[in-house]
Amino acid sequence: MADDALLEAPAPAVAEPATIEELPDGNLARTDAVIQREPGPGIRLSRPHPVRALRSGIGGITAVGVKELRGRVRGRRAFVVLTFYLLFLGLFAWAWELVAERAYVQNASLQGGSAAFASALVGQEVFGALVLVETLLVVFLAPAFTSGAISLEREKQTLDMLAATPISSLAIVVGKLFSALAYVFLLIAASIPLTAIVFVFGGVGPDDVLRAYAVLIVTALGLGSLGLFISAVMQRTQGATVVTFFTVLFLTLGTMFGVLFWNTMSGVNSSTGFLTGSSGVGPIKGRAPEAFLWLNPFAAQYDVICGASDGYGGWCTRLNTITNGAISVTGTGVGNGIFPTPTPAPIGFGTDTSGAGAGGAALPSDLKVGAIEPQPFGIRRDTFWPRSLRAWAILSAVFILASIQLVSPTRRWRWLHRPVRRTT
Amino acid sequence: MTDIVVTRGLVKRYPGTVAVAGLDLAVGDGEIFGLVGPNGAGKTTTLRILATLLRATSGHAEVAGIDVRRNPDAARRVLGFMPDVFGVYDDMKVWEYLDFFARCYGIPGARRRRMISDLLDLVDLGDKRDSYVQSLSRGMQQRLCLAHTLVHDPQVLLLDEPASGLDPRARVELRELLRELRSLGKTIVISSHILPELEELCTAVAIVDHGQVLAHGKVGEIERRLRYGAVIRVGVIGDEVAIATARDHFAADPRVASAAVTTGGQIELGFRGDDENAAQLLSTAIAAGIRVTSFSRAASDLEELFLQVTAGGLAEEQVA
Repeated sequence: MADDALLEAPAPAVAEPATIEELPDGNLARTDAVIQREPGPGIRLSRPHPVRALRSGIGGITAVGVKELRGRVRGRRAFVVLTFYLLFLGLFAWAWELVAERAYVQNASLQGGSAAFASALVGQEVFGALVLVETLLVVFLAPAFTSGAISLEREKQTLDMLAATPISSLAIVVGKLFSALAYVFLLIAASIPLTAIVFVFGGVGPDDVLRAYAVLIVTALGLGSLGLFISAVMQRTQGATVVTFFTVLFLTLGTMFGVLFWNTMSGVNSSTGFLTGSSGVGPIKGRAPEAFLWLNPFAAQYDVICGASDGYGGWCTRLNTITNGAISVTGTGVGNGIFPTPTPAPIGFGTDTSGAGAGGAALPSDLKVGAIEPQPFGIRRDTFWPRSLRAWAILSAVFILASIQLVSPTRRWRWLHRPVRRTT
Repeated sequence: MTDIVVTRGLVKRYPGTVAVAGLDLAVGDGEIFGLVGPNGAGKTTTLRILATLLRATSGHAEVAGIDVRRNPDAARRVLGFMPDVFGVYDDMKVWEYLDFFARCYGIPGARRRRMISDLLDLVDLGDKRDSYVQSLSRGMQQRLCLAHTLVHDPQVLLLDEPASGLDPRARVELRELLRELRSLGKTIVISSHILPELEELCTAVAIVDHGQVLAHGKVGEIERRLRYGAVIRVGVIGDEVAIATARDHFAADPRVASAAVTTGGQIELGFRGDDENAAQLLSTAIAAGIRVTSFSRAASDLEELFLQVTAGGLAEEQVA
């Protein structure tokens, strides 16, 4: 790609061995005299035809992909891992189902007099548990598979051999990314039938499952390209792995802690989630910006899960419990934290829909969106995850483009250029 | 004979250092060309520029008539490059290794399979087809790496230190292989800081130091040019008196700068002159009745030439 673009570069001021010659159709063509004198076999003298360029690009991606996948699925390892993964996921879902059953079916006060509704709650519980475990898996596996992709080639000096072939940097980067993600996608796809058991319990719609998988796939793509980018920047695989690991930690735990810190400092009431009217500290005022959490895959997934389990769904409140009250919901009424449970509660619960929060406090205006409020993150429920996906999609594209530049032996972006001192 | 690899005024500058400082090369079609120089002379940088892996700061470089800077994609299709340290992929079989690189060149499937077995036969790895690359010996890996540069049947091979780290037997095998490739019409450019291996193999060499070519031409040609100012060892039959007489005879010649008797009873002459002058010196000595048993130059191999040329200013002036 980048090299094709070189062809378009304006000719340097230094006299090049070039001639202006009249072509039969009357157009003046600038051709290279040296090339004309002695063309080698199969040399393309002009820019490649777009279709041929596309075909050669796909060929390059296939070359890298086939090579990577051969290595990855060789022997029994890949299938043993897949088996144990499904086994673990199945056992986990089963265990969670038992726990949820105890909690909801045996607790008459939560049932609201409807056993069918309790079944739906169990379904939502199992769905949330499965989706979060899968997210955890993707969050760790996708960057781990890609964080060595480029640096390993560089360490083994095979990147030079690759770069000396006509394969494009784009093909190397995209081939590496998708072959690394192929296995993650396989694990994700293999879990779909397992996740489908939630339909037995009800309470989760097919659209919820689709949303959860969309978040999983985009998360895999985003964190995969993040790992690839770090791999392309760093010279050593060890360094790339460490940096990738800490970046992932920052995106998951770090952003969550940031929001918690912000809300505590700006005086968001830790038990109701309402703004207390405190002026905050310095620039920290009001509710934490939602964008803090855009790159947090768990936040996006929580939004999807909360969206499925409207009302008193355990997952919405559970997060608030984990974060120790600062983003919490108390009581059975309405919650107003970063992850408040939404109102109105589902039919059968009989809580108020008047817009009044717990303890009868009026909802702050920033939480009012239409008649249904408040929402997770203080925004309308089910609107957070698309924003998260959009952010990841844009970032993935940026990472991939930057990786291509870093892999290209003759980089065009000088500001990214870090010359490596060679021995000779 | 046309020149297939050409560089003119090639310069590669890194912050704080100049790796290549105006390097001029011309490698004829079908040659085995040795790029010789000490570590840090700019050999690898030059090869990497030719292989389109580095962009020269200034200057011109072409392979088979293609400007590597302006048309790197086309250049990559006519050259095969082997880096100095060649890595192996884990979890990869020998045939898969070649298959992968053949795919990188966009070679269709049927041709790929045929070509892989041909290449494995050529580098004598036919029975290792299904072995894992990392299980091969170093010499075998080197030959496999050489095979990978051939998948697209390039005109020019750029081999960076191909013999480093190989045992003598593997070196001999590599040399035979390179000869065979030459007979197939390939032009081969080899860099090395170990000279004896190039001396027998190369049809032409360029001695490089500090990013510049110090001497350039056929091995014999360079040798002849550099003989001016060599040391001649003369063996003489006779007792100490006869040897002393012989020494005085040689010392009287205007071209002999110095004459000394070594502990072994040989006479060492610091001689300034070409082959013609040396022959003349020998014939007058014989005519004068000195019984010469041997008459030879001390600087007889590339190694010494190399040391002379890269040693310092004097040698550079002579070559220039």
